[in-house]
Amino acid sequence: MLQPKTMTRLLIVGSKEQMPSAVTELYRHHVYHITDYTDQGKEGYEGFRIGQPMEGATELSTDLIKIRSIESIFGLTPDDYLDTKKRSSRSIKEIIERDLPAIEQEVSNLTAQRSAAEARIKVNEQRIAELTPFSGIPLELGLYKGYESVSVVAGKASREIEITVPHEKFIASDKGNDTTVIFFKKADRAVVEHALAEAQFQPIPIPEEEGSVRKAIDTYQSEISQLTATIADIDEKIADIKEKHGNFLAACDEVLSADVEQAEAPLRFATTELTFIADGWVPVSQVSSLKSGLAQATGDKILVMQVGETDGHHDSHDHQKNQPPVEYDNPGFAKPMQSIVDIYSRPRYDELDPTLMVAIIFPLFFGIILGDIGYGAVLLILALGLQRMLKGEAVQQLLKVLRNASISAIIFGVFYAEIFGAHPGALDIELWHPLISRHLLIGSHAYHQGDIAVLLVFAVWLGIIQMTLGRFMGVYNHARHKNMLHVMGQVSWIAFMWGVLLLIWSIAAIPLMPDLTMLPPIVMGLNIAGIIGVVLALAGVIGIGIESPLELIELPSVISHSLSYTRLAAVGLSSVAIAMVVNFIAIEMLIEPQFKELTAVGIVLIIIGIFVLLIGHLLNTALGLLGGGLQSLRLQYVEFFTKFYKGGGEKYNPFGKKRNLTED
Amino acid sequence: MVDLGVATLTLEMVAESQMGLKALGAGLAVGLTGIGAGVAEMGIGSAAVGATAENKDIFGLALLLTVIPETIVIFGLVVSLLILF
Repeated sequence: MLQPKTMTRLLIVGSKEQMPSAVTELYRHHVYHITDYTDQGKEGYEGFRIGQPMEGATELSTDLIKIRSIESIFGLTPDDYLDTKKRSSRSIKEIIERDLPAIEQEVSNLTAQRSAAEARIKVNEQRIAELTPFSGIPLELGLYKGYESVSVVAGKASREIEITVPHEKFIASDKGNDTTVIFFKKADRAVVEHALAEAQFQPIPIPEEEGSVRKAIDTYQSEISQLTATIADIDEKIADIKEKHGNFLAACDEVLSADVEQAEAPLRFATTELTFIADGWVPVSQVSSLKSGLAQATGDKILVMQVGETDGHHDSHDHQKNQPPVEYDNPGFAKPMQSIVDIYSRPRYDELDPTLMVAIIFPLFFGIILGDIGYGAVLLILALGLQRMLKGEAVQQLLKVLRNASISAIIFGVFYAEIFGAHPGALDIELWHPLISRHLLIGSHAYHQGDIAVLLVFAVWLGIIQMTLGRFMGVYNHARHKNMLHVMGQVSWIAFMWGVLLLIWSIAAIPLMPDLTMLPPIVMGLNIAGIIGVVLALAGVIGIGIESPLELIELPSVISHSLSYTRLAAVGLSSVAIAMVVNFIAIEMLIEPQFKELTAVGIVLIIIGIFVLLIGHLLNTALGLLGGGLQSLRLQYVEFFTKFYKGGGEKYNPFGKKRNLTED
Repeated sequence: MVDLGVATLTLEMVAESQMGLKALGAGLAVGLTGIGAGVAEMGIGSAAVGATAENKDIFGLALLLTVIPETIVIFGLVVSLLILF
């Protein structure tokens, strides 16, 4: 919680004979984050080289490429088969040797046939395109050539062609795209060409074929439809093979990927002629099981050394490269939020992990903004439905975030007493009084006035609390690095913010905030609270200035960031307004008046009213999801994280992979 | 003689026109700040999309930079709410 998992650095040293079994064991445990060895002549690493892939790596890779290419032809991913029964990897390997060549042969034959057919279709389409201009001319194709003293040109002219010598002209009109064919004596070529150039004549090639143009086009077209049928046939066969072998291919992919990754692992190790060293990180809780596993797999012929750098307290930042990888360590309900924090940046090993805070605050803010039982329920159903339909880790996590957020929206909907923006809305039903009202006076039935000022101040309060929390987390982070100047800077920011607040309280009475205007004034019209406020603020300014004078430009951000939280109320109110207007138009203007006297037109209007109601609320749900999600996320990213969070940690990416489709 | 140049304002009319001007002011507050935020986000957004296309990892940062000017329109919205209610 609030801290990444503690990591231990493990050096694994052994003779090369033990390497394959050690690698297999590491892969099986799936906890060892390998730090890639780079050949840079580091001190203490003289004589070491980057290792060579194990025997058989090339063949395995070739097989894997074959499978991947078949998969891409089929358009399948191993994730499609997550729910199928697991196969034993030994049997898979046998099948790979036995069946893979045949399947590959079949698939590549089929794809070759398909691409040949596709190429043939292209050729035919080209021919048809060449023939089409001549289809309007009453001449057989054979008549265009084979003369001794007569020449033929065909083409398109943009204006009238005037030829003075004897000739014969055919024009096929085709919607302003006329094709002209001219027969003339070879002796007159120069005159004709001049006339053609005058008319901006663009020649087109005459097809080298015999017989009627229409017939030729028909032949090509029927050939194309035959070829299309062939392609459909081949596609069906490919789909059959996919149906039959898809599961097996996905399993092969998994087995081979694992084998290839293991065979290529030595590329990440430092090796000498006879030994290898693997450098990497393991979560502390896994160290002993990994150690004993390695000892067992290699018959105790391997040395596993624990390097004493478990807490990541570095005095200098030169050790950046040696920072442990970061794995989140959060309670279950906060886990989905990790993907949201990852979008910003993975925390560094030596700073506080804000996931838990965000996991509480994000749904809270989302609820405050959306705050509607109806919309919340729609989003909750959407999230639960998509959770069943969509696969993939990241999507599932995001949907869980949505689920939590919409539950919070329902809860706040109860507080605000809102169902689809209406309580009682257009109907006269009073279920319960809102705790805080966001209802607006839209429509004749509305009678709750919104507590706008209270809502805005409430939002600012949340901002003040969250920003103070952020600053305190900043203090903690800097204190851990013994960076006292920055600690003082952060404390000064807190002092400045609360000083300004005290000053404001002493001058103006604001709902929901302490009213300090009653205290007797002491100096310059300021009372005791005001004076304390001024002193705090000034001390804060001095502290910030000492930390970095440039930061003084940022002073107004105390105000602008606090006011930025008013979006919690403002965005929510605008969505309430949209919902109430939709209700007003649909129910009060379109549907309700018709019930006094039902007519045919009235029924149409009622249907239109229902349509408006559905579309309006659908749009508003989408807007609420976007507004609520993005706005509250932005408050975390911009207003909260900037106070303490740097990020940029290396993701913990253990060697190995979770087996989904196969088992030993 | 009736002076046609002077129209009499009843109290309701005064109240109504005050309400109208308030609504105008609120509309201007949201509309103009919306334009401002839009202009500011236009440049940032296109640059952010370009940068994200180059390197997916900075999506979070890009999103953050893009939404910064949005505060302008939120302030407009808050001001208009305060005017209206």
